[in-house]
Amino acid sequence: MSTPSPYAIEMLHITKRFPGIIANDDVTLQLKQGEIHALLGENGAGKSTLMSVLFGLYQPEEGEIYVKGKKVEINDPNVANELGIGMVHQHFKLVECFTVLDNIILGVETTKGGFLQKDEARKKVMALSEKYGLRVDPDAKIQDITVGMQQRTEILKMLYRDNEILIFDEPTAVLTPQEIEELMQIMKNLAAEGKSILFISHKLAEIMAVADRCSVLRKGKYIGTVETKNTTMEELSAMMVGRNVNFHVEKGEAKVGKPVLEVRNMSVASKVHKNNAVKNVSLTVHAGEIVCIAGIDGNGQTEFVYGLTGLEPLVSGSVKMLGEDITKAKIRERSLKGMSHIPEDRHKHGLVLDYSLEDNLVLQRYFEPEFTNKAGFLRRDNIRKYAEKLIAEYDIRSGQGPVTKARAMSGGNQQKAIIAREIDKGPELLVAVQPTRGLDVGAIEGVHKSLISQRDAGKAVLLVSLELDEVMDVPDRILVMYEGEIVGELDPKKTTQEELGLYMAGAKRDEVKA
Amino acid sequence: MTLLVQYTLIFASVLILVALGGCFAEHSGVINLGLEGTMLVGAMGGALTMRYLTDKLPTFALILLVILISMAAGALYCSLLAVASINLKADQTIVGTALNMLGIAGVTVVVKAINTAANPDDVSSVINYGAAREKFLVKLGDFEFSWFMLVTLILLVAAYVILYKTRFGLRMMACGEHPQAAASVGINVFKMRWAGVLISGAYGGLGGIVFIMAGASEWRFEYGVAGFGFLSLAVMIFGQWKPQRIALAGLLFGLFRALSNVYSSFDFLAKMDIPSPVYNMLPYIISLIVLAFTSKSSQAPKAEGIPYDKGMR
Amino acid sequence: MKKILKNDGVQSLLASLICILLGLLIGYVVLLFIEPSGAGEAIKAVIKNFLTYNKKESQLKYLGNTLVKAAPLVMCSLSILFSYKVGLFNIGAAGQYCIGIACSLYCALALKLPWWVCTLVAVLGGALAGSISGLLKAYCNVNEVISGIMLNWIILYGTNMLLTNVKEATSPYTKEVARTSAASLLPTLGLGKFFNNNKYVGVSVIAAVVIAVIVWVVLEKTRFGYELRATGGNKNAAKYAGMAEKRNIIVTLAISGALAGLGAAMLYLTSYEQWNCSTSSVPGMGFNGIAAAFLGGLNPIGAILSSFFIQHITAGGAYVDKKIYCAQISDLISSIIIYLCGFVFFMKLMMNKRIAKQEERAQKALAKKAAEGGKEQ
Repeated sequence: MSTPSPYAIEMLHITKRFPGIIANDDVTLQLKQGEIHALLGENGAGKSTLMSVLFGLYQPEEGEIYVKGKKVEINDPNVANELGIGMVHQHFKLVECFTVLDNIILGVETTKGGFLQKDEARKKVMALSEKYGLRVDPDAKIQDITVGMQQRTEILKMLYRDNEILIFDEPTAVLTPQEIEELMQIMKNLAAEGKSILFISHKLAEIMAVADRCSVLRKGKYIGTVETKNTTMEELSAMMVGRNVNFHVEKGEAKVGKPVLEVRNMSVASKVHKNNAVKNVSLTVHAGEIVCIAGIDGNGQTEFVYGLTGLEPLVSGSVKMLGEDITKAKIRERSLKGMSHIPEDRHKHGLVLDYSLEDNLVLQRYFEPEFTNKAGFLRRDNIRKYAEKLIAEYDIRSGQGPVTKARAMSGGNQQKAIIAREIDKGPELLVAVQPTRGLDVGAIEGVHKSLISQRDAGKAVLLVSLELDEVMDVPDRILVMYEGEIVGELDPKKTTQEELGLYMAGAKRDEVKA
Repeated sequence: MTLLVQYTLIFASVLILVALGGCFAEHSGVINLGLEGTMLVGAMGGALTMRYLTDKLPTFALILLVILISMAAGALYCSLLAVASINLKADQTIVGTALNMLGIAGVTVVVKAINTAANPDDVSSVINYGAAREKFLVKLGDFEFSWFMLVTLILLVAAYVILYKTRFGLRMMACGEHPQAAASVGINVFKMRWAGVLISGAYGGLGGIVFIMAGASEWRFEYGVAGFGFLSLAVMIFGQWKPQRIALAGLLFGLFRALSNVYSSFDFLAKMDIPSPVYNMLPYIISLIVLAFTSKSSQAPKAEGIPYDKGMR
Repeated sequence: MKKILKNDGVQSLLASLICILLGLLIGYVVLLFIEPSGAGEAIKAVIKNFLTYNKKESQLKYLGNTLVKAAPLVMCSLSILFSYKVGLFNIGAAGQYCIGIACSLYCALALKLPWWVCTLVAVLGGALAGSISGLLKAYCNVNEVISGIMLNWIILYGTNMLLTNVKEATSPYTKEVARTSAASLLPTLGLGKFFNNNKYVGVSVIAAVVIAVIVWVVLEKTRFGYELRATGGNKNAAKYAGMAEKRNIIVTLAISGALAGLGAAMLYLTSYEQWNCSTSSVPGMGFNGIAAAFLGGLNPIGAILSSFFIQHITAGGAYVDKKIYCAQISDLISSIIIYLCGFVFFMKLMMNKRIAKQEERAQKALAKKAAEGGKEQ
């Protein structure tokens, strides 16, 4: 008799290559039975690749996987399921028009002659829900319940299948603070009952609060594993980013001018639930300053920007630009008045991927006399010249220059193209939503410099960011958005990350006047 | 009046069957625009069966065989849609349209070839099944009850049970709503979609034979099925992809269709002197109006028409 | 060579040729099943069409007929591809074509209006039908395929109803335009004499080509085309860039409808065909337009070629030996071709995969060579 392995999962020396990139480079992850183990890393550190390997979606070039001491070949998600591994995905895998119960039993239904027998299943679900404190209404439809309850449904799905190894992929990104609190408690309960939990996150506080151990990945490489009780957030942070990033943006004093953007009492409807996503928001951005809207993802920033730029109608409130009311103005009118918009999702809004780079670079200006003659024909030679100018100025790299299809460009260069287009338009107000998302350090610095030079040229800049470093360094004023409301105004020179975090988590709030 | 009820019921049977066919395909995630062609192929299967076997089989066996062969022919034909849209990820609109054209051209070619082979002077695309048709009917006074009406009722209930009460139905609908979720719990999306399309073909094929036998004892196949496949799509949308509502929508549309056949026997309708094409148009006009008001909050399966790709998560 | 294969246009052409060859092959197999002995002759007849005739005069005359019917097909395929560029599938082209027939014939036969008025009304009729689909799509979120299908049937019955007023007393067919209202006939520009005095050949053939070129120019060279293609490529980005999405949808479908309606006038105002007032299904021209549009690689110039080809084999069907086969064998072949057109993207994907694989292999070989070279030093 061999002693049972202390490990629920061991992934040893996993290497997974993609053309041009090593996503996992000799990564090792050992999850002990009954522990909560965090997997920490920035976006693009290789966490999702590693999980895809574990679930058989990718085959690693090198490395071995053991489950409970037994070597396994996982070449299909079903194999992982059979091994008792379950996962709550960041984007839930739930059928919206089915009930909670139907979603839980889907794939492992009890049947009699092909007919569904739901009574047993309902009993088991209720028992599990009781045992772990997972409140759900089994007969409610997914489309009608809160995100928190949807997540609990996902957890019940795993428990219903008697999974022993539970993986949570960025589970707190979509939750309210109360729900996060609740989730933490649930995870502890689960671990206490002997389940092994892998908790993927990049939020240090949560890891410190709930995990026993933490493994860190950086740029595809395995950095190490530490016990949380023997470490500090600072140490973890250093492991995650490689150095104590305190990259500072050089900038002079702001010369604040007249108000450029005045938003009063704006409310915007939500696409997800029936309430407003943006509630009664008022703010002002002046010429010559950078104002940053900070907050955890999903607190209404996206909808606020949609309302501001005209992509979605307002429920109530008004927007003024340079003293003129633009509440009902069309997107094109706003653009012509001097509003530029670097969108959050470059593939959804920012680019026509099947258009060439040059056609994308004139997306906001193709109708101007410089690019379209009086008869309505495009002036191709001018478009080419303009594209070449922007490509040179903003160092946009691509395979075939102006005629490269946007689809064939790297994410970073796609983003550079959008930034070039929006800034070169000469805006009075630049709305930049997560402009550095997915960029490398060098490129990030470039973007920050562009934002500051806009400011120094006397333009108004509204930055929406999720990155704490960016929030602390770039703007002149910080407005924190929480659950669709502005809950605090901070001066980046005077505040600390800790204080900012308290506002972002809804633990602190002030009355803010616009 | 009896005639109106009779026509309403038989046309409703056709529309309900074919709409349920569309409903199965869409619940699995595939849009079947090729129902018009599917009906025709199913009709040909049934008509040929009757042509060759009417005298050789007892009534019950004949009815059963005609039904089974029509369904099999429809299902087989729809495998062309399945392979294209599920395995090769072709555009479902193009393929569906192609299947409608292929249906009418193919069936015409085959029937004409059979007719010409039997009699070199016969270059028509007609199949006669007058003798067999009698066997499907039971006279209840003036009312001609067709066994197809009963079969439709059974298949309607079956559709409801399959979709909402069985494991198979639950899994299939998951594939039409959120195939990635279905795949993540080990359901084979390709298989489920194939099943949905094949069932769709079977219902469509049966609808075809019911249609051509509704009022005629022979059928000229180059004429197709007069838009009933498309009308059934309207019935399906009108019924919001739910069997019980499809049944009601089918009855309503069947009534309009029946009116265009028998309106002259109603004094007050005859007096109004509305040309018969208006009655033919009405169901389509009504669906358009209803669609205009209901499409903003459609209950259509969310993943329909989108090819499923394993790589996408 | 590889560079040529990578070119999108070349790939489209290649894919289309594969579709045609496979379509003909499957058609041939079907013929073999029906009767092996005459299959070769029959498929040859389909491919040869007017070339079946030995005399040059006859060949020219029937080439003329094929051209007369290819012209409306070009218009229908332009109608399809124009809206497809904006991401809309205009299956309603069949109905828009049908309303074009109704308008042009009614204006010609009942009102005896001059040809250009008849044509204009047909264009407007098509545009009206198209814009109904457009309005429903833009403001009520009704899928254009579904509304198109419904409109097709409404229009068909409407056409039957309207044209019953101008039909022959003894047959279900409408009166002949040539005999009833000569002023409504499209000008022939004397082109007939090049086709052995084929009186149907005229302005429509030239107009079809010119309009195809105009459509190409509008799509590729103008601001309007830039907006439309952007909308088709990424609806959200078009909205973000301030393009009037709803207006573009409506205008696009109206133009598509106008093109299909014009196609109908081009055929029926030559007096080449009459309308059967008890027609029980929507004319196939609009659906064949789908085939032509995709076979032509969604390129207006390609559409000219593919339309001619499809009309060519459709007409060729008339020359098969009727004692064994039927003319619909051509319809069978063209519907198989449309079916296969559904796979064009798949085929291109396969081609690109193969090219990528070959390139990778070549690169590996190069790297290996370099490594070996390094060792020797």
